[in-house]
Amino acid sequence: MSDQAILDPRIAGVLLALFSVLWVFLGWWWGRNATGLEDYMLAGRKVGLALGTATAMATWVTSNTTMVAPQLAYQLGVWGMLGYSLGSVGLLLFAPMAKRIRELMPGGFTSGDFIRLRYGTFAWRVFLLVSLTYSAGWLVSLGTAGGLLIQALSGIPYLVGMTVILTICVLYTLLGGLRAVIGTDFVQTIVIITGAVIVGYMTLGAVDLESVHARLSETRPRLLDMLMPASLMFLFNNLLFGVGEIFHSNVWWSRAFAFGKGVGFKAYLLAGLLWIPIPIAAGFIALAAPAIGLGVPRADMVGPLVAAEVLGAAGAVLLFIVVFSAIASSLDSLLAATSDLVVEDVYRRHLRPSASQGELRKAASGTIVVLGVLTWVVCVLDVTTLAKLLHFTGALVASTIWPIAAGLYWRRTNRLSAALAMLLGSIGGLAAYFAIGFYVAALVGAAISMFVVLLLTWLRPGRFDWRKLQESEG
Amino acid sequence: MTIPLFLFDALVYGALAVSSLAPILLLVLLYRDWKAGKLW
Repeated sequence: MSDQAILDPRIAGVLLALFSVLWVFLGWWWGRNATGLEDYMLAGRKVGLALGTATAMATWVTSNTTMVAPQLAYQLGVWGMLGYSLGSVGLLLFAPMAKRIRELMPGGFTSGDFIRLRYGTFAWRVFLLVSLTYSAGWLVSLGTAGGLLIQALSGIPYLVGMTVILTICVLYTLLGGLRAVIGTDFVQTIVIITGAVIVGYMTLGAVDLESVHARLSETRPRLLDMLMPASLMFLFNNLLFGVGEIFHSNVWWSRAFAFGKGVGFKAYLLAGLLWIPIPIAAGFIALAAPAIGLGVPRADMVGPLVAAEVLGAAGAVLLFIVVFSAIASSLDSLLAATSDLVVEDVYRRHLRPSASQGELRKAASGTIVVLGVLTWVVCVLDVTTLAKLLHFTGALVASTIWPIAAGLYWRRTNRLSAALAMLLGSIGGLAAYFAIGFYVAALVGAAISMFVVLLLTWLRPGRFDWRKLQESEG
Repeated sequence: MTIPLFLFDALVYGALAVSSLAPILLLVLLYRDWKAGKLW
């Protein structure tokens, strides 16, 4: 076992095997009738409120939420948890957009479809570059996180854990498409939230909040400081990063297309509201560490260490299941949505415009496998530096916020403003990332993008005909 | 400026209370969708 492993590797191995069989079986079961392209890629476009809400929640609750929320609470205090909670703003703001997307593009497939039809080919290609870079960064970061977390929690070697989790997600996404993803997301949401809540209540059973507050006031008062500057900067950057991620990524657009009529707004709104408390419920346990006299050698292990201290072996098992479910629920969604983007916007629109539905269905399956293999290769080759790719994609995704939002609601926004906003916003945000730090990249990217969209729309107002978006049908 | 104890309490207990209700709400919605034939 590794130094801080909280779970026997044999027990962890059994849990990995059990849950792997469960996810693959459920994925196959739910997706067994998905024969057509729309069924496979968009779950038949009739997903109801319960499954819609749960899939939005599960996808947004990643390993970061369950593991990094305690770490941030431990490092940045109360604002670390609250900053993470603001990740829900993206879901809440996307609620009306999901409704509008479904109304404007009832037959749409991807976020790329929207950019192509709304802003033309050049802006579309810039967007694809941004979106695919982000997807690659997120895929690698999830694969890496899976391997590292399984190793940290149980001592199972990185390569084994990473390979298992990637293989399982590829397998059930391949077997059942978006239905498999959405179905398993529901079960995973219940598992993740219930697990986090049990750990939270058990922590409160071991130590009361008055003692936690008193101990922190004595030993680490800055964690209770309501005006901690670094935390406030993190809070706003995290908010914009989250909004950029959700506004542009096909993970969220494909769900807007897949949800039944009238479901998108309610599902995203409810998911956002229910998501707000999760980083606090999962994160506050870290603040209890000083009060229960727990030494924390590594901040990124504070959550598992507190859970194991308070609940013993049962806590370790519970946390292992929660983390495994959290990674799987995001990885499957990303595999399916990135495959859709590659098949629709690269394969069909660039390479094979006359491809039949059957051919596209096969291409979708093949792309899921290729994405899984590529992610595995990158995760094997380099663990640390490539996982950082996700950090600087904050600049890229934040630059898409204004072109997407203005493009959906503002007839006057023109093609040039969208393309330049994404290009200049990305370049400026990346420059800020390297010159100042990760915590300003999204802020600068979004600010430049906003300035360009507003200025060029004012100088050269267009008059877009919304009916042009209907061309994407079929 | 330190967060007062009552606010800290409200934050943690509030978060746990809402998080506890979330799985129940999702299961109720699932049952309702299933009864109405609108699961997917």
